[in-house]
Amino acid sequence: MGVLDYIWLGILAVFHGPELFAIAGVPVSVTIVMVLLGFLIGIVVGSTPGLAGPMAMAVSLPILISIFGFTPDALLPVMGFLIGVMKGATIGGAVPAILFNTPGTPDAFMTTLDGYPMAQNGEAKRALKVAHFSSASGDTFSDIVLILCAPFLALLVEAYLDLPEKTALLILSLAFISAVIGNSVGKGLISMGLGLLAAYVATGEDFYPRLTMGVPALSDGFPIATAVLGVLILGEVFKGLEDQMNERAAGRAAAVPAQNADQKLTGADIKGLLPFIGRSAVIGTLIGALPGIGSTLAATLGYASGRRRQEARGGKAFGTGAPEGIASTEAANSSVSGANLIPVLSLGIPGNAAAVFLILAADSIGGFNPGPSVFRFTADEVNPELVIAFGLFTTMMLANLMNWTIGGVFMRAMGIMIRVPKHILLPIVLLLTLTAIYVQETSLAAVWFAIGFGVMGYLMRRVGMSPLPFVIAFILGGNLEATARQAFSATGGDPFFLVKSPIAAVFLILTIAVVIFAARPSPAKKAEKL
Amino acid sequence: MHEKTRFSTALGLLFLLLAAVLILVWIPLDTETSYVEKVRRKLTIGDAMAPTVAAVILALGGLLAILRPGSDTQLTGANLRFLGLLLCTLAVTFAVMRWAGPLAANLWAEVEYRVLRDTAPWKYIGYFLGGTGMITALITMGTGRFRIHHMGIAMAAVLFLIAVYDLPFDDLLLPPNGDV
Repeated sequence: MGVLDYIWLGILAVFHGPELFAIAGVPVSVTIVMVLLGFLIGIVVGSTPGLAGPMAMAVSLPILISIFGFTPDALLPVMGFLIGVMKGATIGGAVPAILFNTPGTPDAFMTTLDGYPMAQNGEAKRALKVAHFSSASGDTFSDIVLILCAPFLALLVEAYLDLPEKTALLILSLAFISAVIGNSVGKGLISMGLGLLAAYVATGEDFYPRLTMGVPALSDGFPIATAVLGVLILGEVFKGLEDQMNERAAGRAAAVPAQNADQKLTGADIKGLLPFIGRSAVIGTLIGALPGIGSTLAATLGYASGRRRQEARGGKAFGTGAPEGIASTEAANSSVSGANLIPVLSLGIPGNAAAVFLILAADSIGGFNPGPSVFRFTADEVNPELVIAFGLFTTMMLANLMNWTIGGVFMRAMGIMIRVPKHILLPIVLLLTLTAIYVQETSLAAVWFAIGFGVMGYLMRRVGMSPLPFVIAFILGGNLEATARQAFSATGGDPFFLVKSPIAAVFLILTIAVVIFAARPSPAKKAEKL
Repeated sequence: MHEKTRFSTALGLLFLLLAAVLILVWIPLDTETSYVEKVRRKLTIGDAMAPTVAAVILALGGLLAILRPGSDTQLTGANLRFLGLLLCTLAVTFAVMRWAGPLAANLWAEVEYRVLRDTAPWKYIGYFLGGTGMITALITMGTGRFRIHHMGIAMAAVLFLIAVYDLPFDDLLLPPNGDV
């Protein structure tokens, strides 16, 4: 089995998988339909202020697992659906940002700066076309980088990193995520510490389930769905409900003015946008490849970079309805999504909420453990995990194809989603999420655990603490402990096993450096103090 | 001292205290093995090590939150009042969800609810009433007034969720039917 054979098997797994129906005698596999469905739902969700891709992923996961079961055949349809949602939500966020000055997703905030003025000038359709073209370009670029880089990075990890180095790499990743998210490294570390602590309740190797205080309900630990959905989804819904109460008096979104301007996006327009898209796609991909740094920062940096270029060449100023502003933002935030999967597939480290749900799906279904061991190119026998990995790459390219062909038309029809009232939507999402947790865990105790984690997620958001380090630490906590235990045993109980290997020592030095660097006062804060 | 600095200091102290309780009290009393143990003449990491590392990270985070307060966000009394109201609403509606079905079975059925928990319409009673109550109450919280059409929307939403999660699948149980 060579590399090309594996690629071909991955493509076949998507296109020749279980058939759902046939069109003119041509079989259509269930995976293709699921990617399409996920993509369309993702656009709808992304276009709806108050909803986000991870919410759709969370509530659909138990339904999908019930439909497809716990067999390896379920992996591609379920994960293909989630990938579709991730991509759809990325482009959907620009719709309300442009039409109503309300970003559908946080990373579309910068899109409002030029998108909304364009809509006010009667160029709404053109602005949406720019957003779609830039978003699809950035996303495709990022996926190509993922497909090219992830296998090589995984091979490097497997070839050069032994147990102590892998332990140190996990520590570095967690420290990096905690340090770069939010504006306080202290709060990032607290979030990570809480995640690790929750992961260690009732786990371990002894007969007695540790840290349970003898409470029987805790003896199996916290189910992963309760912690992840609680902190990520319920926490956000609780915050949204309170914001809704506070914004009760706020007025409705303004109507879109008459669209009489030229709505065409010509070849010359595209040629002018390409340098902005290219720069932002590279920025977004680089940022996305680092775990934990979100698409919002990518959008901000992409926009800033585009503005500098625009000022240098003397074009229409950003913030006044410049299509280049939309292109810079949308290419940057969309190119994060593919690159965010590089650490998941090559290192097993989720870098964002969407990657967390992909890991959750793989963990629930079984038969696929994202990480460096996936990319074992076995010659004598087929490595099924590698076929799934190439199948996932195929679903990503398929979703890109859908994005390029039908994404723009569907996206432009989604302006209607702004009319969905948030005060009605959020309570329904809350019950939907709690129901999704219950049907997975079949226990009201699990629902209360999730509500408890939701309260934690709400409090974290209110005190300016990102919940993402918590979730990632919760997912990686068990792996970190197991790897450290194995490394300690393998080195004959050497207490300095983490610093004996040069690579592990470098990772640990980088860990300390990242925390110190992130904790140092920024020049702006120093100036503020003066 | 700025209010934001004061809040960060309080937050940092809270987590320093939690870390101290974890390291000095909770972990030693609630784990079976220490940091390192000897199994078959080989040294291995014990169950207390990983939670202690988590506690040290919490302490470090607490310390940095005091020394480097980063954000100006802080918890207010209004936040806590909202949280209390929300949790009360959830507690009441989940109580309805849990007990409405068994109560109805007690009043009108000849067998106990456990036997009927996978039989329509009994299996939907708790979820329908509790779910409708939860959505209606939360919409009322959001808008500041009760409106009958909000209850209609809540009913429609719950029926939709029943149609999505229960009707097509024999293996999924709606709340509270896995607990009764």
